[in-house]
Amino acid sequence: MTETVLFKAALAAYVASAFVYGGSLLKRRVLTARFGAGLMLVALGIHTFYYLFRWIGEADIPSVDVYDTLSFFAWAMAASYLAMQLRTKTRVLGAFVAPVISVLMIVASIDLGGSVVGSSALKGTLVIIHVMLSVAGEALFAVATLAGIMYLIQDRLLRKKRDRSLIHLFPSLHDLDRINYICLFWGFSLLTLGILAGSFWARIAWGSHWQWDPKQVWTLLAWGFYAFLLHQRLAIGWQGRKAARWSLMAFFALLLMFVLESFLFRSAHTFM
Amino acid sequence: MKLILVGMNYKTAPVELRERLQNYCSDQDVALPDLMMNPEIKEAICLATCNRIEVIARLGDTARGEDFLKNFMCTQGNFDINETEKYLYIYRDIDAVLHLFRVASSLDSMVMGEPQILGQIKDAYRMAVDRHATGVLLNRLTHHAFQVAKRVRSETEIAGNAVSVSYAAVELAKKIFGSLKGKAALLIGAGEMSELAARHLIRQGAGNLFIANRTIARAQQMAEEFHGAAVSFDEFPSFLPEVDIVIASTGAPGYILTAPMVAAALKKHKHKQHMLFLIDIAVPRDIEPEVGELDNVYLYNIDHLQDVVDANRAMRRGEALRAEELIAEEVAGFEKWFNSLAAVPAIVRLREKTDSIVQGELARFSAWLGGLKEEDRAHVEWLVSSVVNKILHDPITVLKEESSEGDELPDMAAIRRLFKL
Repeated sequence: MTETVLFKAALAAYVASAFVYGGSLLKRRVLTARFGAGLMLVALGIHTFYYLFRWIGEADIPSVDVYDTLSFFAWAMAASYLAMQLRTKTRVLGAFVAPVISVLMIVASIDLGGSVVGSSALKGTLVIIHVMLSVAGEALFAVATLAGIMYLIQDRLLRKKRDRSLIHLFPSLHDLDRINYICLFWGFSLLTLGILAGSFWARIAWGSHWQWDPKQVWTLLAWGFYAFLLHQRLAIGWQGRKAARWSLMAFFALLLMFVLESFLFRSAHTFM
Repeated sequence: MKLILVGMNYKTAPVELRERLQNYCSDQDVALPDLMMNPEIKEAICLATCNRIEVIARLGDTARGEDFLKNFMCTQGNFDINETEKYLYIYRDIDAVLHLFRVASSLDSMVMGEPQILGQIKDAYRMAVDRHATGVLLNRLTHHAFQVAKRVRSETEIAGNAVSVSYAAVELAKKIFGSLKGKAALLIGAGEMSELAARHLIRQGAGNLFIANRTIARAQQMAEEFHGAAVSFDEFPSFLPEVDIVIASTGAPGYILTAPMVAAALKKHKHKQHMLFLIDIAVPRDIEPEVGELDNVYLYNIDHLQDVVDANRAMRRGEALRAEELIAEEVAGFEKWFNSLAAVPAIVRLREKTDSIVQGELARFSAWLGGLKEEDRAHVEWLVSSVVNKILHDPITVLKEESSEGDELPDMAAIRRLFKL
C-alpha cells in the first residue's frame, strides 16, 4: 500500500517537474528550470524511498518485469542527470530529460506491483545485478542522447542566428558535448559490466555464455556501435556535431532492438 | 516624514555641471561634513558617480532643510538658483524611497542593468557610515535598497544579456566554448573594436592572443599591452590551427579569409572536430560567408552582433517592467515601516511623560519607601511601572497601526490632546 503511494507520489513529482521545465522553455527562464530541477530531486528522493521500502518489505529478492525495468530506467536517468547538473550549468537540459522520465514512469505505473510472469529461471542475485547494470547503462545512453539532441538544436540555433533568447537559455555547446561524452563513457562501462554479469549467469543457468538469443545479438551489436563511437571520441578526437549525431544513431539502434525484440522474437529475455 | 532626495543625473544636467559637483562630492571628507554642519540635516548619504550626483537625507525641518540642500547643490555646481528646476529633481518621503530602489536596481542607469551602480551606492553608504552621517532611517533604507537590487538581479534578466557588440561576441563565444579559460584568439586587424573585444576576452580568462596587422608596429604595441604575440600579416593563416576564436576587423576591400583556408586550418588541428568561432566586425567583410557553413565553425558578422544587441536591449526593456513591479512591491513593504516612524515622536513623548510621573510619585513617597526592605522597594517600583506599561500598551499599539496605514492621524491628535503632549 505504502509502496503504491510512494510510487504515485514520485510519478506526480516527475510529471510536475516536466511541466515546470516546459514552462521554463516557454517563458525562457533559467530560474523556472531551477524549480524544475528541485522538483526532480524531490521525485528522485521519493522514488529512492520507494525502492528502499520494497527492498525491506520483500523477503524474496525482487523479481524483474518490464514495468520494474522501466521504473528503474527512469530512476537511473534522473539520478545521472541530476548528478551531471552538479558539475555543469545545464539546467534546461532537464526540459528534455523530465518528460522522458515521466512517460517511462506512466508506462511503468500501468502494471505496478502486478503479478510477475517471468520464468523462475530469471531469479537470483546475478540476474538482478545484470539487469540493474544494463538498465543503468542504457539510461545513461538515453541522457547522452538527449544531450546530443540538445547539442544539435543549439548548434542549429547558433548557425541560423535566430531565436536568441533560446540560444541564451540553452547550455553551451561545450557543456552539452561533455555531458554526452561522460554519459557515453559511464553508460558503456556499466553496460559492459552488465553484459559480463549476464553471461556469467547464463553460464551457470544454461551452461554456456552465449545462446544466439536475439537480444544477445542485438545488444552486442549496439555495444559494438557504442564501442566504436567511444573509440572515435577518445582516439580520433571526435566531438561536437559528428559525435552528437552518432550517439543519436547508436541509441536508435538500441531502441530498435528493444522494439523488434519485444514484438517479433521469443527469447529468454521476454518478460511480458 | 522628512526624507528627501535631491539630485541630478545624465538626463537632467549637462556633463560640465555634473563634473563640477562630482569633483566636489567625490571627496566625502569635504562634502559630508559640509552637509552635516547644517542643523536641519540629521542623516545624509552623498552619491557621486559620473552619471549622477544625489544627496539623500533625513531632515529636521522640512522646508528649511530642503532650501539648504537646493542652495548647496547650486553653490557647489555653480549654477543659478533659478535654474534648479531645470537641473535638479527632488523626491520626498516615499518617492525618494522609490527613486533610490530604482537607482540601486540599475533601472535609472544609462545602460539599464549595468552592475556598477550598486557598488557605487555601497561605497557611498560605507563612507557615510564611517563619518557617522547615517542613522536608523538611512541605515534601514539603504540595506533595503541593496536587498531590492539583489532581488531584481536574480528574479529578472535585466542584466542578462550583452548590450554592446564586443560583449555580445564574448557571450556568444561562451555559448560555444562554455568557459573562455585558456582559449586562444587571433585578432586580424588591430582597430579599436578588436581592442575592446580583446579586453573582454582577456577578462573572461582567454589565454594566448595573436595579433596580425598590416602595420606591424601597431600589432606589437597591442601585443605588449595584452601580453600577446604580434604576427606578420601575411602569416596569419598559419596561426589559424592554433586558435579557437578569430576576430577580423581589417580595412581590406575583399575577403581575406576564405572557406578553403579555414577548412585546411581545421584539418591541421590536433582534434579533427575542433570548434572555431569567427567574428567579422569589418565593413566590407573580411571573412567569406561560406566559412560559416563548415562543420563546428560559427561565423558572426557585425550585423548579426548588432541584431543580438538590439534584441537584448528590447529584452531588457521588457524585464524592466517586471523589475518595476517588483520594486513597487518592495516600496509598499518599506512604506509600512517608514510611516510608522511618524508615530515615534508621539510615543517617545508619551513615555517620557509617564516616566516623569512615575519618578515624581516615587520621589514623593521616598520617605515611606525608605522604610521598606530593599527587596520590597524593588517590588513596589516594578508594580508601578508595570501598571503604567499595561495602560500604555493599547494606545501605543493603536498609534503604530494608525501611522503605518496612512497620512491622517486622528488618534494621534487625540492622544496628544488628551495627554497634553
